[in-house]
Order: sequence, then C-alpha cells, then structure tokens
Amino acid sequence: MRVRHIVLSLLFSIMAFGSFAQANEPIPTSEVVIAEEHREYKSKSISELVSSFWATTGINAIINTNDGEMTAEPDGKGRVMSAFESSIGRIIMIGIVFLLFYLAVVKGFEPLLLLPIAFGGLLANIPLAHMGGEHGMLGIIYNMGIANEFFPLLIFMGIGAMTDFAPLLANPKTALLGGAAQFGIFGSLIGAVLIGFDLQQAAAISIIGGADGPTSIFIANRLAPEMLGAIAVAAYSYMALVPVIQPPIMKALTTPQERQIKMRSLRKVHKNEKLVFPITLLMLSILILPESTPLIGAFAFGNFAKESGVVDRLSDTMQNSLINVITIFLGLGVGSKLAAEKFLVPETLGIMIIGLIAFSAGTAAGVLMAKLMNKFSKDPINPLIGAAGVSAVPMSARVVSKVGSEARPGNILLMHAMGPNVAGVIGSAVAAGVLLSIFN
Amino acid sequence: METEVNQLLESIKFMILGMGVVYVFLLILIQAIELQKKIILKYFPDKDADENITIHQDKTLQSIEKEESAKIAAIVAAVAEFRKEK
Repeated sequence: MRVRHIVLSLLFSIMAFGSFAQANEPIPTSEVVIAEEHREYKSKSISELVSSFWATTGINAIINTNDGEMTAEPDGKGRVMSAFESSIGRIIMIGIVFLLFYLAVVKGFEPLLLLPIAFGGLLANIPLAHMGGEHGMLGIIYNMGIANEFFPLLIFMGIGAMTDFAPLLANPKTALLGGAAQFGIFGSLIGAVLIGFDLQQAAAISIIGGADGPTSIFIANRLAPEMLGAIAVAAYSYMALVPVIQPPIMKALTTPQERQIKMRSLRKVHKNEKLVFPITLLMLSILILPESTPLIGAFAFGNFAKESGVVDRLSDTMQNSLINVITIFLGLGVGSKLAAEKFLVPETLGIMIIGLIAFSAGTAAGVLMAKLMNKFSKDPINPLIGAAGVSAVPMSARVVSKVGSEARPGNILLMHAMGPNVAGVIGSAVAAGVLLSIFN
Repeated sequence: METEVNQLLESIKFMILGMGVVYVFLLILIQAIELQKKIILKYFPDKDADENITIHQDKTLQSIEKEESAKIAAIVAAVAEFRKEK
C-alpha cells in the first residue's frame, strides 16, 4: 500500500512538474515515458486476456503479416516490415542459420566465426523481440563496436599478437605473392561495377577478395554501411570455406610436378629483426598510406607487444582473452545483419557471387604469380604457396600445406606459406587504405 | 549507358592505382626487411645464448608437453627395441 502511495505521489509530482515546465519549455521526453509506463490497469475478461496474449506470440507474428511490426535498427530508425519480411523471410533466414550451424558444428568450418554469426542471425530473426534494435542486445553490441569500426581494430591487434613474421623475414620475396592475391580485390571491383553496383558499393564488396573479415567490416562501414551485413557474412563464410574453395583452383592451375616442388628450409631469423619489424612496417605505412594506419597500427602494436618479450601478460591477453571476447561480440553483431529485412534483398545475391569471384581470383592470381616467380628465382618456389597470399590467416596456409603434402607426402609447406599469408594481411590493409583514400 | 562506361573506366583506374600502390608498398617493405637484416646482423650480431633463451620463453606449455611426450615415446620405443633384441 505504501509503495503504491509513493509511486502515485511521484507520478503526480512529475505531472505537476511537467505542466509547470510546459509553460517555460517543452517537456523532456523521458518524463512522458515514465508517465505512460504507469498507466492504470483495466479489468479484462478471460477472452480478452487470451486474445491479447495471442497477439504477442511468435506464431501470430509470423502468420499475421499486416501487424505493422517495425524493423529493428541499431540507430532506432525502423520502418514497417513488409509481409514477406515478417513471415516467409524469417523462416528462410532461420533455415539459412541452421545451415550455418550445420557447417560450423558438423563440418567444422571455422566454427569460431560461423557459430556466433549464425546464432546472432537466429536471435535477430525472432519476431517482436527487437533484439537488433537500439535497446536490444544485438543492437547494443552493434553500436558498441561495429558501427564505429572499433571491434575490427581490436581483432587486428589480436591477430598482430598472434602473428610470427619469421617466415616472411626469412624469405621476404614471398611478400610479392601476398600482393598478387590483392588482384582479387581490384579485379572484382570491375566485375561489381559491371553488374550495376556504384563505385563505392563495388569497392566495399570487392574487399571480400582480400579474405579478411575485419578489413571487410572496416571498409564496408566507411563506404557502404547499408551492405555491411551481407559483406561481412560473405567475407566470413568464404574465410570459413577456404578448405573447400581453394584446393580446386590450386590444383587446376598447377601441374603435379609443380606441386611436388620442395622448398629450401628457411634461415634462422634474429630476434631483433622480429622486434624491429612492426615498427618498420608502421613507419612505412605512415609515410605512404596513413589511411590504412588504423588497421596496420593496431596490428603492429599487437605484434610489437609480442616480440618485445617484456609484456607477455598484455600480449597473452590480446591473443587470447581479448580476441575471444571481441570475436563473440563481432560474431553476434554481424549476425544481427542476418535479419530477413536486411539480408533477403536482391543485392545480397550479387554480393555473394562477386565475393566468391573475388576470392577465387585472388587465389588464382597468387598461384600464377608464384609460378612466374618459380621460373625466375634461383631457389625453387612451390606455386601452391601463392594461394596463401589471400589473408585468411592461418587457414589458407594450412590448406596449402595439406594440398602440398597430398602431392608429396612429407613435403611440409606450412612455414613457407605463412610468409605470403602474413604479407596478404598487410597487402589487403594497404589495398583497403587505397580504396579509402580514393573516396575521401 | 554512358555513365556505366565511365564507371567501368574509373574502376580500371582504381585497379591500376591499387595494384600499383600495393606492389610499391611491398617492394619497399622487402627492401626495408633486407636493410634491417643487414644492419641488425652487422651491429647486433647473433648471440646463441640469447636466442636459446627466447626460444625457451616462446614455448607454450603445450609444446613443452608435446616435447615431453615425444621423449617418452622415444624412450618407450627404445626399450621395446632393446627387449626384442634380447
């Protein structure tokens, strides 16, 4: 009784204050909301109760398509959903999510990425819950670190702390392979323009060819935020599908003899070389391409922390707990873009196709470049390592090693492939910087 | 149609610029790596003792465990071989 009394008096005082304030200035909206929340409850018959409950069920939300449900947008500016989006669309998307679950859990394709993304997608397609909205869990995560490009940078920091540059430092020429693979980005840019995307959108889509999830999110956010969901999903699913997409291209472009080439073992790299390298890299990018320094800067910081050897605790956090936490957030946030009203649009199909072409072209360009280098180089180069020039670290290096040891058991290419692989990360960050500088 | 052609031309220009910058960047990077290698090996020559310590620090628990189990496997194999010979 006392509580009710307090609430009522509070309500009255707010209303009184409101009417008093009205004379001087407009009522602040938060007070109106409070007044509305305390609406008096009217007695309802049992049939009214049942029917009002029915109106809030998911079954009703899916069957009744004209209920004027709003889309959930992280910036709070939703529109009314179409009949397709709020019914069949959601069912299709939940089907797609289940497919992603299957790929992640049963097939084991990059479950660390695919599982959170898919679950985010499932949550985003729940009717009436507005989880992707401004005050929903997914919307909060999205605003926290994806809309402002914060999470991709933290991921880059973690990748930096996990990367060992020794293979690249021991055989720096392999960096050229990481450059060739960026052809996937620029080649597919032309393709995307040809099928009707405008230049900015085409640039955002083509970065999928770099096979680099964080970079894709970073660029998509700047150049075509409306396509972020489809681009991120395409980039991460193709990264996850590296073991499926790359081997056929690698095998088609090389002869069995080439695949059997043994490479000379790498020289030992001095500790100081590794220590100085992130600084050298950052200095170069400051001089040539400051646009890409957010990415390369975070990367170099992570790597420097690791190689310095004096902040093991920090580098350990970056490469384990921090990157794990961010992966959860990033996955759920990206997954929120798997909502039917955002994903089931005609552009998505174009993005998925161009993304696949971009990715394949990058792989092919890397392999061809490696074949070319093998012709002119003193030391033999196995063309397979060119495929690792796409920056999916370390998946593509592992795939190269697997295909290599299939062709010749005992031929371990993993370390040789890590050189182009980490150069690919640098290469796609540079390519991203170029694209940003064009549209600035 | 005209704008499409223009956009196509633009995208080809992007490609030339982009691939050019990526390659120039990587070529300079390769030179920088070579240079830093020369400087470091000349002025901060390799100390084997240092190297060993860092390698040891780099090892994670797992790899140490793996090494241990490899040693154990080798010992077991040797013992088995010895018994067979007997």
